[in-house]
Amino acid sequence: MGAWSFYITTLLVYFVVDALSAFSLNLQFGYAGVVNFGFIVFQAAGAYVAAVVTLGPSGPASFQQYILGSHLPFPLDLLAATLAGALLSFVVGLFALRRMRRDYQAAVLLIVSLIALQVVSADVPLFNGSNGLTGVTWPFGQLFGATATGSPYLYLGYAAVIGVLVCLGVIWLSRSPWGRSLRAMRDHEDAASAMGLNITSLRLQVFVLGGAIAGLSGGLLVEYIGAWSPGAWGYAETFVIFTAIFVGGVGNYRGVLVGTLLVPIIFLEIPRFLPAIGYPGLTDSLEWVVVGLAWMLCLLFRPRGIIPERRLKAARPASPLETAPAEGSA
Amino acid sequence: MLAQLLSSAADGIVVAAILAVAAMGFTLQFSLTNVLNLSFGAVMTIGGFTAYLVNVAGLSPWLGLALGTLAGALATVLLGRGVLRLYARRRTQLFEMMMVTLGMSLVIDYGIQAISQNAIYGYTVLQAQPIRMGPIAVTPIQVGIIGIALVLLVAVEAALHLTKLGKALRATAVEPSLARSCGIKTSRVVLVTWLVSGGLCGLAGVVYIISTQSVDYTTGELFLPLVIAAAILGGVGSLRGAVVASLVMGLVTEIVAGFGGAAYSTVAGFAILVVVLLLHPGAVFGGAEDRQLVL
Repeated sequence: MGAWSFYITTLLVYFVVDALSAFSLNLQFGYAGVVNFGFIVFQAAGAYVAAVVTLGPSGPASFQQYILGSHLPFPLDLLAATLAGALLSFVVGLFALRRMRRDYQAAVLLIVSLIALQVVSADVPLFNGSNGLTGVTWPFGQLFGATATGSPYLYLGYAAVIGVLVCLGVIWLSRSPWGRSLRAMRDHEDAASAMGLNITSLRLQVFVLGGAIAGLSGGLLVEYIGAWSPGAWGYAETFVIFTAIFVGGVGNYRGVLVGTLLVPIIFLEIPRFLPAIGYPGLTDSLEWVVVGLAWMLCLLFRPRGIIPERRLKAARPASPLETAPAEGSA
Repeated sequence: MLAQLLSSAADGIVVAAILAVAAMGFTLQFSLTNVLNLSFGAVMTIGGFTAYLVNVAGLSPWLGLALGTLAGALATVLLGRGVLRLYARRRTQLFEMMMVTLGMSLVIDYGIQAISQNAIYGYTVLQAQPIRMGPIAVTPIQVGIIGIALVLLVAVEAALHLTKLGKALRATAVEPSLARSCGIKTSRVVLVTWLVSGGLCGLAGVVYIISTQSVDYTTGELFLPLVIAAAILGGVGSLRGAVVASLVMGLVTEIVAGFGGAAYSTVAGFAILVVVLLLHPGAVFGGAEDRQLVL
């Protein structure tokens, strides 16, 4: 296959992964108002776990050290990644989502992101420190060749099926009574609480669900690219996804898809086609500066996104109280 | 065992002194404007790099200390007054302001990464033979850093309680609209606060890189978790609280590092905040959502 079709296929795999992340973050931020500034950590957790459970046991002689080394077959590897994301977000959520000022919550999650990076870089026996893990294979190695990049179309199809299913699930969930209670919590926490919603539990539910999807997306990503290291999940990575949501439209999945196409895929790939400037790596740094500026401009001009969320139309506007879910957390 | 404990504790006090300088600046600005300023770490890096450039130019490290402080102050005023005012005019709420400061942090961090070619620069100035007292070894500059922190604590406390401006600042922090109607020029008070907070931030950046002997674009960001944790733990707006919290965090992080947990030292410091959050919600959760933006 040509270099071009390989490149496009790779971008499409990234698109699936980024769309999963954006949907998950949009569920948390757009619908529930939980500002997860540490989102990338949960994706990273999924990626690391998917890597170690397929890499096989790590011995003293192996060139990289890690915990939990084993050979899990499909679909247990992705399941493990999903569980890792969910479990980590449950633990983090237990202290980060307690009732406190929203800016404290966001700051605590950012801090979790900064600290997690330091820990994983410094604690080499955990996931091979700052060198990271390489040589990750995909679960269909025996059938189709060792690495996923060897059969990119196949991997794209596989990722796309999982991605579409999960994204449809997220859309379905956000339209369900549970999704409506998330919006109620976001728009008026006290009123939602007075209606009988358990805010703390609801927030934790959406946080863990989002973490699980993040873990899954990390698993899908690492099995394709075959390597994972702290360089791949700096705190800034979270804000690419946030910017995609802002550009597309907060709380609007069609907009989120457009934003995902525009920001992490098209915008971050354009510099590849421009003449190289300066030393190697300069364009990468400048891209991040532009992401930060875009983030600030979005907040300045379109804080609800370019295509804002549509107002929810109640089925029977005459009796708004009846339509509110009263059973607590669904 | 005891020797290790003592030597780690000495290191901890040095870290605490650096942390205290930063946390005082953070808490002062936060209590007045109510903006959780996440660009604080990035501004620390600016201070550090300024000192590094002064050193490269062959000038005195003391000038580096002064110019690093100045750079931090100017950058913070530019961000706090220039950028945040733009948003305030569009009625951006407090929470979105925090997101804006995060965007600034991204721009500054990666701007510095671009300029510094993503490299780590050594900064070995003011180093001297350590003074040994049994297991404890401290260099004169470390003693100096502790001294700077103590002097600053006394100076800022005195300024807050003895000068008219300090009184105005405290009044504005408690009730901005009332302060304004009493004739206090709150806008000027806020400007001074951004200046002082930024100066402390830049200074902390310089003393931090003196202590770690290197600077790169992540320098401030790695220190930010402890600064925010110390400021929140100490009680927002309380300088003495910030200093005490810094002392606790500094001791815990260095003792954990000294006993083989170097990778987890920041986690241990942050864990204190988490434990306090869980055991004593009231101690930290105070300060309801209805605080207003003061710019």
